Amino acid sequence: MSWIREGELNLIERISANILKAGPMPKHVAFIMDGNRRYARKRHVERQEGHSQGFEKLAETLRWCLNLDIHEVTVYAFSIENFKRSKEEVDGLMELAKQKFVRLLEEKENLEKHGVCIRVLGDMSLLPLDLQEIIAQAVVATRAHNKCFLNVCFAYTSRHEIANAVKEMAWGVQQGLIKSSDVSDELLSQCLYSRNSPNPDLLIRTSGEVRLSDFLLWQTSYSCLVFQSVLWPEYSFWNLCEAILQYQLSYRSLEKARGLHRESQSRQQLEADCLCVTELLQHRGNGKPVDAQGRQEALRKYTASREERVQDFLNVLQSKRDLFYTNLCSQAAVA
Amino acid sequence: MAPLYGFVWRLLLALLQLQRTLLLWLRSRLWRRATAALLMPLALGFHDHGRPGKRPGRRAGAPDKLPAHVGLLVADEEPRYPDVAALVVWCAAAGVSYVSVYDGQGSFRRNPSRLMEQILQQQRELLGPEAPRFSVELLSGGAERQERGGEGPSCSGTGTGLSCQTAVKVLCPGDGKLGIVEAARQLCRAVERREGTPEDVDVAALDSLLRESKNVPDPDLVLKFGSVQSTVGFLPWHIRLTEIISLPSHVDVSYEDFLAALQRYAACEQRVGK
Repeated sequence: MSWIREGELNLIERISANILKAGPMPKHVAFIMDGNRRYARKRHVERQEGHSQGFEKLAETLRWCLNLDIHEVTVYAFSIENFKRSKEEVDGLMELAKQKFVRLLEEKENLEKHGVCIRVLGDMSLLPLDLQEIIAQAVVATRAHNKCFLNVCFAYTSRHEIANAVKEMAWGVQQGLIKSSDVSDELLSQCLYSRNSPNPDLLIRTSGEVRLSDFLLWQTSYSCLVFQSVLWPEYSFWNLCEAILQYQLSYRSLEKARGLHRESQSRQQLEADCLCVTELLQHRGNGKPVDAQGRQEALRKYTASREERVQDFLNVLQSKRDLFYTNLCSQAAVA
Repeated sequence: MAPLYGFVWRLLLALLQLQRTLLLWLRSRLWRRATAALLMPLALGFHDHGRPGKRPGRRAGAPDKLPAHVGLLVADEEPRYPDVAALVVWCAAAGVSYVSVYDGQGSFRRNPSRLMEQILQQQRELLGPEAPRFSVELLSGGAERQERGGEGPSCSGTGTGLSCQTAVKVLCPGDGKLGIVEAARQLCRAVERREGTPEDVDVAALDSLLRESKNVPDPDLVLKFGSVQSTVGFLPWHIRLTEIISLPSHVDVSYEDFLAALQRYAACEQRVGK
């Protein structure tokens, strides 16, 4: 079963897609693919069969997304909490993941043709080493592609991701790359696993559950949340259209809320910078008062130096992550 | 073809909006607050001897699994204080221990005393003068702290020395992501002063920092009011396992709608990964 399904929509689907595309379309959609096990129970098939069907549905959904000009998709494949499931099921899921990533490596040309970049978000160290190596190969092989993006959250929870981002920042502080006063909303976003993607516009959860289950908590603060009762293996093109319509209905209010948030973000950044400059001037000026122009100049300089410092730190962080994958790949090559 | 598609899309959206407005209008016509006032006394027998979060007795179809912490989230509507106050009173009467009130623009936070007043008034109207009161405590978030320069949370108690059963917190967008950023900064400052290492940073450390300032359990249930399907910045760290139930509007919201939402919550099954 392949990752990219070839094929076009039928006439009615195509017309509906075009109608939807006349409105604002989400650029990035996140899925919580819930209901595989309930589907298996309902159909009286093996649990593992439910998971396989779920994967097939993912491939199909990715094609629909491409047809609808949605070029970035994030899926919740495996939560850290899922390690609590029975050993048999966890092993089965790991095996399924391994198969699928091996399959993905075999389809390299196809992925290149469509320009698909695969990213895996999560704590890789929790996974068996052979799976880590295969994932690393897939990530490295597709990392230059830039037409569409598939983010697979594996061994992921959002709290873990946020804590990890804070840890990275603390590391930066320890290494003297940044100061603790540089920590901001923006910087934290840049330290998350999802640093290279924009926030999802739309989050879809299937099977009727109405919670986020520790998925992209930070990133979906201002996203449209759509909870649908259909089980994931039964998800259809029309379900996706319905979710997009919900997004379009909420679009204007969401834009407004996001605008407000961005405003307060930059206000806070300015306040933080001002505070640092005041401290600096007090330190330097031996209590001499500084005129408004001098202050402005100092503020401008400080902001520039902070931005440079933060950018350097982020570059170091990125190369650290790249190196992690490259090392895993070369390990796999040796083995 | 493109203009035609655009036209059909506009038409479709207009129809959906019309349907939504119509439903809302019908609902508010049929279920006036009067119905709620009629039903309230029936449902109220249980507030006096209930432990927070657990409610003895079963009346007026009240569910048996109760949220300990409910978030009332007004997403994109202009907040109406009497309606929100009524919701707070219903929560308190049902035995909810913590209620967080939030709106995307932070207007409740700017005007907490007005909300307080309304809550007291609704309490008198809905529960009668002899009913036990509950305290309203206003939690100060990150943004507020900065503005006031480190001043502690302002508290205004109510009632006459009666037991506090329900604490009401007024939250604003500044408590959400900014709270996490504050906690992150605190951890980084410790590293800067060589009082800690990056290895100390984990989910538990962050959680205890974010909890210490709030001292409440994570919300079990968020009632989101308004047409926009989003949490608009409501406490991202804390809503990990929160059930999010959406109601079309908080304006003239009826007691039935509130009860139905509680019942829906009671039917939710949490698996926590399993």
